[in-house]
Amino acid sequence: MPAFGYGLSMRRVANLTMRIIRQFTRDRRTIALLFLAPIVILTILNFVLNNSANQVTLGFVAPDGATGQVVTQELRAAVQGQQGLVLTTVVRDSVDATLRSGNVDGILIFPTDLSGVAATGTLRLTLDLEGSNPGAAKQLISISNLLAHALSTTPGAAPTAITTSISANYLYGGPQFTQTDALAPMLVGVFSFFFVFLLTSVAFLRERSQGTIERLMVSPLRRSELVLGYVCGFTIFALLQSIEVLVFVIGVLQVHYHGNIALLFLVTLALTIGGVNLGIFASAFARNELQVIQFIPLLLVPQILLGGLFFAVKSLPIVLHQLAYIMPLTYANFALQDIMLKGYGLGQIWPDLLFLVGFAVLMIALSAYSLRGERI
Amino acid sequence: MPELTNPDPIVVDHVGKSFGNVNALDDVSLTVASGETFGLVGPNGSGKTTLIRLLLGLGRPTRGEIRVLGHVMPDRAVAGQIGYMTQANALYAELSVRENLAFFGGLYGLHGRRLAARTATTLALVDLADRANSPASTLSGGMRQRLSLACALIHEPRLLFLDEPTVGIDPELRHTFWDYFANLNAAGVTIIVSTHYLDEAARCHRLGLLRFGRLLAADTPDSLRAISGESDFERAFLYFALRAGGAVAKGA
Repeated sequence: MPAFGYGLSMRRVANLTMRIIRQFTRDRRTIALLFLAPIVILTILNFVLNNSANQVTLGFVAPDGATGQVVTQELRAAVQGQQGLVLTTVVRDSVDATLRSGNVDGILIFPTDLSGVAATGTLRLTLDLEGSNPGAAKQLISISNLLAHALSTTPGAAPTAITTSISANYLYGGPQFTQTDALAPMLVGVFSFFFVFLLTSVAFLRERSQGTIERLMVSPLRRSELVLGYVCGFTIFALLQSIEVLVFVIGVLQVHYHGNIALLFLVTLALTIGGVNLGIFASAFARNELQVIQFIPLLLVPQILLGGLFFAVKSLPIVLHQLAYIMPLTYANFALQDIMLKGYGLGQIWPDLLFLVGFAVLMIALSAYSLRGERI
Repeated sequence: MPELTNPDPIVVDHVGKSFGNVNALDDVSLTVASGETFGLVGPNGSGKTTLIRLLLGLGRPTRGEIRVLGHVMPDRAVAGQIGYMTQANALYAELSVRENLAFFGGLYGLHGRRLAARTATTLALVDLADRANSPASTLSGGMRQRLSLACALIHEPRLLFLDEPTVGIDPELRHTFWDYFANLNAAGVTIIVSTHYLDEAARCHRLGLLRFGRLLAADTPDSLRAISGESDFERAFLYFALRAGGAVAKGA
């Protein structure tokens, strides 16, 4: 029998892990919660955040006179067949009013006169964005770039060898607005932490309330084996859930992804081990399932609110800002976002990972301590 | 082997246990011989569960010493030879009868063919072989109690602790349980059982009467009746309670 430390039995750990997996797979509703809830939430968030991704309206203000008519024709030809894009002309004087009316998501403004463009070789365009829908704004920026590119290489109104520059202005918000892109990495962490904490504390509470913990304590099972068995059992489910969430956000929601998958799982693993042990520790202070639920607003909601998911951590008022920096989810969010969006490696994210490992170690110590009372 | 110096599997030597100012056990001494069923009888709060928990190693005596199978408790070394049936029938409802047995057997290192053999024997003993694959949640109360006993027996313990094993089950099944216990005794298993039911007490080899944490008497059922001059246990118990006298005020 493989053993290490002071007689830790891996067979007993595996026995406990298998039991947790069995119990879990019998509980269809919990399985559904674990694997369907993230997909439902992600789908809803995706629609909320990018709600007009299906249909954007770009207004444009053409140059005056005959040039304007050529540009208009060229633009219409360029967007021909573009799914979900409506192009509409706007009168120069009513740009602001049209934007405020909400009828367009943005307006691409050409100079009144293109005659000077040939001389300077540059065409300066302005993109005024409504901005309240970051998904649409983002889409319009890329569409405008494509259009400008099409113009500059198309002979006709504008000379061939010009460079085009677009300056974007936002009526509301700005380009830093959070989107599914920015949210998805954080949600990988939030989902695994949330479910692992909830499920572990309830599972452990049941060990206590149904009296099985007494049997475990009387048996040769060690506290370390008990904790390790729980960690293995629940981590397997958390990692499966993360895989599912990643496949969904990358494959279905088409979130940009540049990162190292192994590193991503390493961060999730550290967070999950912390979550399992926080669950064991917290369950010592709950007498029933309702009291476990009461830990959600106390321990989880602040982390979800302040961890960067909804508000940038840097923009928080100073007290909350400091609070955010003692929360494991904040560090998981930083790390997961850096890995997925910026393609950062271990070299850049190690401080965040170190914090998560430190949190996991602290939680293991606390959960082991909370089990001390069970057997002296 | 330390057991050679004292062959009795359980020796309780002037044991006291306090929780804060409350004396849950006070100067309790007793020995239990190999292969006997020793009953702990007394009202709620008399210290039966506290004594059983100390014997199991779930706690340390405040005073005195407990030796189980020659080891001073608490000592993990004897854990593998002890079986424990808790008051609540501590089972995993989602798991089948067989899976519950496999899990508890696994805690004691049982696996493979040995586990299969023990599972078959134990299921036959508690008459649950035909329900082996049913989830524990679908069992009746009596069946759950039988499974709970089976889980305590799966690893062939030399010592079996039963904390009110027949609470809430019908008289017929209670009778069956005591038949199981007699068979286990015959196989050399020592049993410590706590009970409220004085009719059950008559089936123990010896009885310890506990009240307010004090052991009023420990003897065979016949001797206890003879000493008290009473024919039924309820009256015999009252006789010893009155004789102890002062203990009433002390515990209250």
